[in-house]
This record gives sequence, C-alpha cells and structure tokens, in this order.
Amino acid sequence: MPDAELAVTGRVFALRNIRIYFAKKGRLKFVSHLDMTRFMARIITKSKISIWYTEGFNQHIYMNFALPLSLGYEGLYEIMDFRLIDDNYSIEDCLESLKKVSPPDIEFLKIRENFAPMKEIAFAEYIMDFETLSDEAALKLSEFLKRESIICSKKGKKGKIREIDIAPKIKSFNIENNSLKLILTAGNENTLNPSLVLDAFFEACEIPQIFYTVKRTMVFNEKLEEFE
Amino acid sequence: MEIKELEKFLLSVQKPGRYSGGEINSVIKDKSKIDVRFAFCFPDTYEIGMSHLGMKILYSQFNQRDDIWCERVFAPWLDFEEVMRKNNIPLFALESRDPIKDFDFIGFTLQYEMSYTNMLNMLDLAGVPLRSADRKDLSPLVVAGGPCVCNPEPIADFVDLFFLGEGEEVDLEVIDLYKEYKKAGKSKLEFLIAASKIEGVYVPSLYDVSYNGDGSIKAVTPLHDAPKTIRKRIIKDMDKSYYPESFVVPFIEIVHDRAVQEIFRGCIRGCRFCQAGFIYRPVREKSVDTINRQAKCLCENTGYDEISLSSLSTSDYSGIEPLLNKLLEWTDDNHVSLALPSLRIDNFSDELLDKIKHIRKNGLTFAPEAGTQRLRDVINKNVTEEEILSTCKTAFLGGYTSVKLYFMLGLPTETDEDLKGIADLGQKIVNMYYDMPERPKGKSVSVSISVSTFVPKPFTPFQFEPQITEAEMRRRQEYLKSCITTKKISLSYHDSSTSFLEGAFARGDRRLCGVLENAYKNGCKFDSWTECFDLEKWLDAFEKSGLTAEYFANKEYSYDEILAWDHLDYAVSKNFLINENRKAKEAKTTQNCREKCAGCGASCYGEGVCFEKH
Repeated sequence: MPDAELAVTGRVFALRNIRIYFAKKGRLKFVSHLDMTRFMARIITKSKISIWYTEGFNQHIYMNFALPLSLGYEGLYEIMDFRLIDDNYSIEDCLESLKKVSPPDIEFLKIRENFAPMKEIAFAEYIMDFETLSDEAALKLSEFLKRESIICSKKGKKGKIREIDIAPKIKSFNIENNSLKLILTAGNENTLNPSLVLDAFFEACEIPQIFYTVKRTMVFNEKLEEFE
Repeated sequence: MEIKELEKFLLSVQKPGRYSGGEINSVIKDKSKIDVRFAFCFPDTYEIGMSHLGMKILYSQFNQRDDIWCERVFAPWLDFEEVMRKNNIPLFALESRDPIKDFDFIGFTLQYEMSYTNMLNMLDLAGVPLRSADRKDLSPLVVAGGPCVCNPEPIADFVDLFFLGEGEEVDLEVIDLYKEYKKAGKSKLEFLIAASKIEGVYVPSLYDVSYNGDGSIKAVTPLHDAPKTIRKRIIKDMDKSYYPESFVVPFIEIVHDRAVQEIFRGCIRGCRFCQAGFIYRPVREKSVDTINRQAKCLCENTGYDEISLSSLSTSDYSGIEPLLNKLLEWTDDNHVSLALPSLRIDNFSDELLDKIKHIRKNGLTFAPEAGTQRLRDVINKNVTEEEILSTCKTAFLGGYTSVKLYFMLGLPTETDEDLKGIADLGQKIVNMYYDMPERPKGKSVSVSISVSTFVPKPFTPFQFEPQITEAEMRRRQEYLKSCITTKKISLSYHDSSTSFLEGAFARGDRRLCGVLENAYKNGCKFDSWTECFDLEKWLDAFEKSGLTAEYFANKEYSYDEILAWDHLDYAVSKNFLINENRKAKEAKTTQNCREKCAGCGASCYGEGVCFEKH
C-alpha cells in the first residue's frame, strides 16, 4: 500500500506502516480479541508514540491484527499493524516505549517497517498440551489425524450448522510427551481452530474430553516460512 | 494458587478476565517484605466493583506504603462460585491468588444494603467464620467502610471494626496500630479496645444494645471505656489529600470504563430524601489546578481515552467554567473525551457552550423526583416546572428528541394528585414538543419516566418517616400507570420488593444480623440482581428470627426515640434533622449551603463550604 499523507498543523507527515510482533501469555490468555484491541489502544496511548488515528466521526487508533486468537489460547507470535505519523522516530525507540508500559504477560518481540501483506499468511502452528494422554489415546489420535476425510459440523456466521471436511486443512502433526503439534491452514477465511480438530476427535473416537491448553507458536506463509 | 492450576477452572466459566488479575497498573509485591496484607473486597461482580472510585483511591494509597500490600477481591459470579465450591478453591485475592483467610485484614466497602449477603458469602468462600465472636485470633480482622456503615447495626455481629466517614487517614492509623499490636503479640480484644479510641473507628462488640418490650431501643451502652459517640472522619484539605496517579485498567469492559476525576465531596443542596447529601457534609472542593493536574496525570498513566468528572452535582462546582476551559486545552489534542454527568448549562458563556458542543452527550436527563411543586418543596428539591420545560425546549431546538425523567414514589405526604403530576409533567413536555414549529422534522418525541421507590435513610430529615407498605407501592404504581394516556411516554419501575427490604435494612438494628444470616443460609446472594433476588427466602429468614420486615420498613419513629444509629455522629445534628423534618411537613424549603447556612452542624470540622466567602 502506498503511504498516505497527512497534514498536521501545516506540516505534512508521511504515514509509516509499522508491524509489531508480540507474545500474549499467562493471564492475558483470558482476554478476548475484542478486549485485546481495547487493551492495545491503552498501551499505545500510555507509551505516547505518535500513532495515527482514523479520521472519521468516531476517531480511533488504527490497528490491524493478523489472526484473532480465541479466548483461552496463548500466542507466542502475534502480529499487529498500525501507523506512525512521526517520520523522525526510530522504530526501535517505539518498541522500547511500548515495552516500558506493558504488564508482564505481554512481551513485545520485534518491530518492522518492511513486511509482507497479511494476505500471504497461509498456515499457523499450534501446540496443545494435554493434562494426560495415554498411549492408547495418542495412537487413536494419530490414526484419526491421518484420515483422508474428517467431517465435522461447524456453526456458520448466521447460526446455520454446516458440515465441513477439515482433513485437507491439517497440514501436518506430531505427537510426543502429552502434547500435539498441529500445523493448520490459516488466514484468507481459511483459518481452522485447533479445538475443532480435537472436538471432532473426542466425538469420533468416543473418548471423554481431556483437558488441554492451546498455544499458537508460529505463523507461516505458503512456503512454510516464518511470516514477517 | 498458581495460574497454571487456576486456568483449568477459569476456562470453564464466563468472563474469566474477572478472576485472572494481571491488569495494567495492578500492584505486585514481594510478600516476604510485607508486614500487613489487606484484602480489599467489593461485595459484587468485578465489573461493578472495578468501577468504584473509593476502592481505586484506597488501593493506590495503601500500596504506596512499602509495608502494606493491598489486593482486590470481588464476589465471584454464580458459575465460578460453583466451580470454587466443587473444587475447594478458597476465595483468593486477584494479585497474588493467595487465600484471603491468611491476610491481616479483610476489608469490605458497603455501598448498598442489598450487597450484605454477598459479604457473608465471600467470608464463607474464604473459609472465615461469619461472626466476629467466632474469630478468636487477631487476624484476619474483618473491617468495613462506605456509606452503609452510617447504620452498621444490621451487620454489627459480622464485622470487627467499622470506619466511619472518609478512609484515607483513619484506615492507615488502624493499620499502624495493628502492626504494633501484632508485633507485641496482643489479643484481638486488646487491639479492638485500643482501636476504638481512634476517631472514626466503631467497634460494635464494645457496645451493648438493650431493647424495650415494644421492640424499640432502650439504651446503647459502651463497654471497656469505648467512646459514647463516634464521629465520622473527613479529609479537611482536598488539595492535599491523596489521589491516585493511575488506576488499575481492566482487560474486560466494566460499567464505568474510563478515568474518573473527583472534583469535590459533599453536596450543598440538602434534598431531604438524599443520604449522600447529608453524610458527606461539609462540601469541600479541589482547586481547578489540582483537578486539571490530576486528570491529566490519570489519562497519561491509564491510557484511557475518556475522563469523567465525579461529584454529587457537577454544576455546583464553584469554578466549573474555568475548569472546563483548562481541561479542554489538552483533552481534544490527546484524543481524550470529557464526560460531564449531571451538568446544568443554563448560565454558561456562549464561548464555552460552543466548545463543549461536540462533547458526546449521554442524553438529556432530569431528576425532578416529585410530580408537583408542593411535593418538591417538601423534599427540598429546587427544580421548577418552568426550568424543566425551558431546558427541554432548548434541547429540542438543538436536535434532541428524547428526555429521561427520574421520580420517586412513596415520598412522605405524597397523594394521588402528586402521582398524577408526574404523568402531567410528561404530557406537558410532549405537548410542548408538538407545539414547537421549529421541532426536528418528521421525528417523534419520547419521554421516559423512571420511578424508584422512596426508602427512608439514616441521617436524613426523613429518617423518622415510615416507608409505605409493599401493597401500597403497587397500588400507587398502578395508579400512575393509569394516568399515562400516550405512547410517547414510557414508564419503568424499580422493583418494589427490593425497595421494601432495603427499607428494612437501612434503618434496622442488631436483631437483623440473625435475619441476614438466615437469608444467607437460605441461599440469598446478589440480591440487587433481579435474576437472583428471591423475596420468599427473605421473608422466611425474618420468620425464623421471629421478626417482620414490615416492623423495620414501615415504622414511624418519634423525635425522642433512640434510633439504632444515634450513637454515631455524622456531623449533622439530630436537632437539625428534626427541624428539617418539621419544615418538610409544612412544605417549607431550606436554602442551599452557599445561599444561607442552615446550621446542620457540619461546620464543626472548621473547613469547607461553611467557611467560604460568598
């Protein structure tokens, strides 16, 4: 996207598109996506970085998140875009300012000014840690995930329940030591929630629910390279 | 408890953000370096408690001290309570997730009577015996403050010590005394006796209450040399008083999700039904500079994009115009919006009006409280019909098409004519709208009338008055409904059974402690939530104690009778309240504090509006 220009008190600033990468951990996993946007806006305000506000009747900080994370999940590689209006500001200083005002459960990892468009996101990696996973259940899970077709019902946006095959959306998996690593399709309305995979497994194999936690560990492009 | 252990449970309940802690600006300390741990409890949900300014002030103030760690505790909602009980999770504080039964202080702020059962439920969830007498050790001490504490008798058996009035100074004095007594290995009784000598501290177990045969109070006798009357504490100089530089900013949306800047305490008006108007006297203002500095600091430290001015009546702030001018100098540029609750704009300059024009308006609301001028004079509410109509007219011209009016039903001396007056006032507003040729084109007008039920409260001139019976409340509600003949007016009521119980507990005495415990055992909690309130359980609780709610709610007290709260001194004298009660019966108004001093007694502190030069 070409940089837009904005006139502020007579001076013309170039808007700078910035991408920040962060981890959302610990107590922050209980913060929903909607609450997360409000939280980010407050951190940004506190940090006093010169952020760009939208120019409508209801002006608000412009923010764009890569893949909204479900309530209860941790994210170790979360991505958010915003715009700066100060062209003399080093982005490293911007990162430091954000770090300074953040509570411990959010960790800002890096900041970039050159990055790929969000639409190039193709896959995401999740790690699911089970409270216990017996050898028998692990075997069943492994067999289940190798099936050519996994039909499960999903509630659509209008409340309609439709049947979808999620097997093609499972790129790869790995099971070891009570934990399951999944690489699933993501982005471009192709995002698969890992809980859906496990729900389908528990139902199909008639296994009682086992408690597990979910971490999204990485986001990839089509070539399975780290998305930046 | 570690967050890892807790998360399994949190993932199964609604809004886990209520219980997770870890918000921006929440205070974490090294507990090995702490002398006093204070669990600050709000007996309602997180969203309500986190909106409360008093808690924010004391939380920050206590935590300024290196030897104190103050943490927040809220009433868990029904779903999480069930999980806690099933899995033996004791009530914990949000910051450390440590069980509060091991704390030095468990402090409650009591904002409304209907939260009392939640206090008992929280003590039980904490694993702490409910009754003060059953807690033998020095800690945990159960303490309480807040407006309800001006008649703490219905909860006197559960709380070790009450803070009367404003807490900023007295709370810390008590904590310091506690530190000393804990170190010296003194007993709970020794500590309570010593604490009772601090001004503003009421230790109910040091007072013996006896009753006459008819149920009235015979005498309140101090024991162990406790003071005969206990005077509330106030902060004399508001510019020098502590105010937080930051608030804990919640992750989830709360009721008042914004920065709040206090501008003054007390109210000059003296509306005779209003407890807040009397118990917070005298009026003490902060200066324009202090408010401006504190407000700016709060916005910077919280990241909030909205700030609201807080007081009982914003328009009565003596420097409102210079204040708004100062605030507007920086709020817009910082994308901060200013919320101005209950602001009367009649006498503002055109220039200022122009500046605040774009401030987001919360809709147009009035609180005439009563339907006729006669009854408004009885309650000393200085709003006239002409004022309401002319303000509505200005608002309609400015494009508004809806108005909200607040009234009270069951006020002393109220007749059906006064109720009809409510409907008539609504009708007059509707008529005026349609008589205006310049009204907004093609838009209908809507007047919503919201009616609550009058509850006589301690330390008001109406403290002697009976509340009308529940049956009479319903009759009057029905009558009022029948007076409204247009669909342009909508009518809503406050639930009559809740008001009735509130009436009983507001003016009740110590015998209600047993009723409260019975109600709690019957499963009453979150009584201010309609989905939880169950009148039957409450009536059963009264019956088990051999009492009736009617006795307390519907009783008329004579001027010379001993009231359950007479040994507490809130700086307004009983003689003044009697005099005001007499004037009410004659429909005579009393001027506000700035017009003419009415001699209520609040000048005893030597500060505030009583000493302003007019």
